[in-house]
Amino acid sequence: MHAAQAPRHRRSLARQDAAIGYLFVAPQMIGFFLFVLGPILAVFVFSTQHRDLLTGVVEPAGLANFQTMLQTDRTFPRVLANSLAFTVWLVPLNLCLALLLAFLLTRKLRGMIFFRTLFFAPVITSTVAWVIVWRFLLQGDQGINQFLEGVGIQGPNWLREPNWAMASVIVTRVLKTVGLNMIIFMSALQNIPREYDEAASVDGANGWQIFFRITLPQLAPTILVVMVLTVIGSLQVFDHILLMTNGGPANATSVLIFYIWFQAFRVFDMGYASALAVVLFFIVLTATVIQWVLRQRFIYNER
Amino acid sequence: MNANMISSTHLREERSLMGQISLFIAKHKNKLLLYLLLSALSIPFLFPFWWMFTSAFKPANDIFAYPLTLLPQTWRLENFAEVFAFQPFARHYFNSLYIAVLVTIGTLIVSSLSGYAFARIRFPGSNLLFLLLLSALMMPTEVTIIPNFTFMQALGLIDTHIPLIILPILGANGVVGTFLMRQYFLGIPIDLEEAGFLDGMTRWGVFWRIALPIARPALVAVTILTFLYSWNSFLEPLVFINNNDLYTLPLSLRSITDEYGQSLWNIQLAATVLTVLPVLLIYAVAQRQVVESFALSGTKG
Amino acid sequence: MKFRKSIFASVFLCFVLLGVVAVSAQDEPINLRYTLWIAADSPQVARFNEIAAAYTAEHPNVTITFESIPFGDYQTDVTLQLSGSNPPDAGWIVEGAARLWVGSGVLTDLGPTLSADDSYNIGDFSESSLSLWSEGDAVYGIPFSTSPFIVLYNRDLFEAAGTPTPDELLATGEWTWESFAAAAKAIADNTEAYGFQSNDAALYTGNFWATLIPIMRGFGGDSWSPDNMCLFNSPGSVAGLQYLHDMIFVDESMVPPGTEVDFYAGNAGMTMGQLSRVNRLAEASFEWSIAPLPTGVNGTQSVIGQAAMVVFNNSQNRDAAIDFVRYMTTQENVARIAQFFPPARESVLNSDALVEANPLIPAELMQSAVIDAIQNGVVLPSSAQFPRIEFLVRPALDEMWVADADIQAITTSICDQINPLLAR
Repeated sequence: MHAAQAPRHRRSLARQDAAIGYLFVAPQMIGFFLFVLGPILAVFVFSTQHRDLLTGVVEPAGLANFQTMLQTDRTFPRVLANSLAFTVWLVPLNLCLALLLAFLLTRKLRGMIFFRTLFFAPVITSTVAWVIVWRFLLQGDQGINQFLEGVGIQGPNWLREPNWAMASVIVTRVLKTVGLNMIIFMSALQNIPREYDEAASVDGANGWQIFFRITLPQLAPTILVVMVLTVIGSLQVFDHILLMTNGGPANATSVLIFYIWFQAFRVFDMGYASALAVVLFFIVLTATVIQWVLRQRFIYNER
Repeated sequence: MNANMISSTHLREERSLMGQISLFIAKHKNKLLLYLLLSALSIPFLFPFWWMFTSAFKPANDIFAYPLTLLPQTWRLENFAEVFAFQPFARHYFNSLYIAVLVTIGTLIVSSLSGYAFARIRFPGSNLLFLLLLSALMMPTEVTIIPNFTFMQALGLIDTHIPLIILPILGANGVVGTFLMRQYFLGIPIDLEEAGFLDGMTRWGVFWRIALPIARPALVAVTILTFLYSWNSFLEPLVFINNNDLYTLPLSLRSITDEYGQSLWNIQLAATVLTVLPVLLIYAVAQRQVVESFALSGTKG
Repeated sequence: MKFRKSIFASVFLCFVLLGVVAVSAQDEPINLRYTLWIAADSPQVARFNEIAAAYTAEHPNVTITFESIPFGDYQTDVTLQLSGSNPPDAGWIVEGAARLWVGSGVLTDLGPTLSADDSYNIGDFSESSLSLWSEGDAVYGIPFSTSPFIVLYNRDLFEAAGTPTPDELLATGEWTWESFAAAAKAIADNTEAYGFQSNDAALYTGNFWATLIPIMRGFGGDSWSPDNMCLFNSPGSVAGLQYLHDMIFVDESMVPPGTEVDFYAGNAGMTMGQLSRVNRLAEASFEWSIAPLPTGVNGTQSVIGQAAMVVFNNSQNRDAAIDFVRYMTTQENVARIAQFFPPARESVLNSDALVEANPLIPAELMQSAVIDAIQNGVVLPSSAQFPRIEFLVRPALDEMWVADADIQAITTSICDQINPLLAR
């Protein structure tokens, strides 16, 4: 083969390979443009329209939907406040419990597998199933309250009092998802080299000191990443809320994601719902970017 | 000295049962505390499942009985029969099953192909495209559901199963699959594939015969994650399906109410058991793989 | 010769084909989907199925399937189905959202077909009964139920509590909201049961209008006026809401939020409902009866719930659907369902047979509690903005069902929020 031909041969091979590359990613990318990117752009367009699900009427509306959202809609601030409260309570609760469980379970003791299985079981159970059972248990005069009555405590009407309803949703959600964070922490804990805390205990440090001064800092990158993931996950509780409280009582558990669905499919105002979806999009985008930046920072630093 | 030791040994053996127990506790204090703590923490995890399973066997009145009974007084198997009489539950089960299978197969194909391409093949724009995909990773379905609904409506696909099959494959969950596969393919030593090229294999051959078989653990992870995602998904069926015959299990469970929307508890709990049991059984058997799949998705994705 | 033969043959074949096509088009099976919000195994649906079977006997290629959708999801599900590939053909619409649906353009104008049919006699429907479902000359729904709200009560519990029953109070002209509350309290205090459960037990989680409106109107208030001014914070409305609030939190005779109590299982002294609910008492384990609503500050009053049958424009079998709705609302069939659904047809309303229509209700009671109430009854509120209004009112009411609620403030806030919507 001529020397001149070899590079050309290589180039055409490379072109062939590139073609195969495009072919391989085509299904994913076409789907992405059709069903993810396209709709995200469409949501922006829809938010500038009046779209009625029932009548099918579509009219341009400019920024009217956003005006309504920020000026007239009394429920919107409530919904945002609820979303914030929900995330602010859920994330620390989830992370602390997950850390605690992970810490307790990363020991070579009998029965740890049983507990790990148990704590993870709600993660794979469908939300509908999980909520059905808890809705029963949290009734005003049945379930848990019956049990509490037996020991002399008057339990509140868990799902019908605004603050308790929010608390119930948060706690049941944490119970459902903590197992996932637990196993992520567990695998992170198992990757921490033992030499550090062995050296420290030889130096006379006790358990708490080892935990706070050595283990925790090494876990910090994982904790940060898991925190952001949990924040994003806390925005995706639509089915949990619809099935448990339907956004009530008195909109106490109406979070943004529920409000979007409600405006679109109960009030039939698709334009307004799209405007709300735009807000959600920016929230998620911010959280995702933060997560990405943190991951780059800390994982590269680790290496 | 020896006589003393022997006699004190006798003394120790004769010590009371209480003494022996307190010695045991003192020695294993930490372990016992640990088990105690874990057991206490496990109550809110265990009790719902316990309640679900036992209530499914109780007659309707007993579920509300006072005082609360932990075990059914009478075991009523008819609840399960009523689940199938109330609505076409078997059909709903089948719907969920075949949709989950199709979604899993589709996702495996799409994500292994694109995961491999992003990991191994050089083509212009691959980085940009991959970055774009990342944006889909975290995007909740609720953001895109309205335009997707309108799109499906225009295509006449509302009240069919097609959106339930296509959207998960190509949406956020499918992208997680691509991510996982790419990560795994990146971790495979490249010499194996180069050996294949030297042997005269095409790119397709290398993918199909070398890379893919090695990536079996990742394929297992994608299978598990995707199947569970489809099996448990709620928003898409809620929005796209309104015909009772086409319901999937989450919709089916939700609709076990009287005409005023009040739950028919004993039937609903029995149906819940039927939905949850297969998943729990598979989980109990393949526990390690299931947990590892989720761990992978959390740490990488 | 051969040529002509082949011409004849092909022409003959054409006719045969045309004939086959014509015949098969006629015989093409049509299945009409008809949506409603009551249980599929209820006696009402059983009666509907009988009527449908009779229709199929006359039109062998048409079958009808009745599809039950829970009331809370009904609007959403029907709307979504209409945008799908298999839309329903006909169904029910409730009065609350009537104006919304009538103005939406998704309903078929039944006027032309029904007016042209002399035997149908569309004039038999009073103007007032059709007003909610008409727009100008177009008629978008045929009311099949004009059902007044009544009080259903558990005689056994009244006896156990030692308090006079509604019919005893009626006889002495003392059946008022005050005596209603007193009876409920007596039952709650002296028996294990609650005194009063809301309509369909839905006050907190479902259709609260059915319970609130009769009480609010009984005290001189209302939800909004006919010229769309919010009346929630009027003195009458506030008095009515306070009355109910006291029953829950002071007397503790009314079922509170979060507690599941079934009147039809014998666990409450009284409930509100419409005629069709009486069927649930067919096999009741207790003695029961019905009474009209108590008299309020404006004397005897009656509140009516209406529902109409409609045909959806998106139906793929519109003509067949229109004909079936016509069939279901003929005089004969309206009389057949009168046992459950008080008729909107004057001829049936004024017929002698009506008092005997429901085997569970004695004739005098049917006359006094149901038929008389239809004549001067006022329909439940309706608005083109009903979903949005309900969405705003419900959470406000949620805030009201707590022990120390400021009802005046809450109702004023309701009016602030819904007046702009009502004005649209």
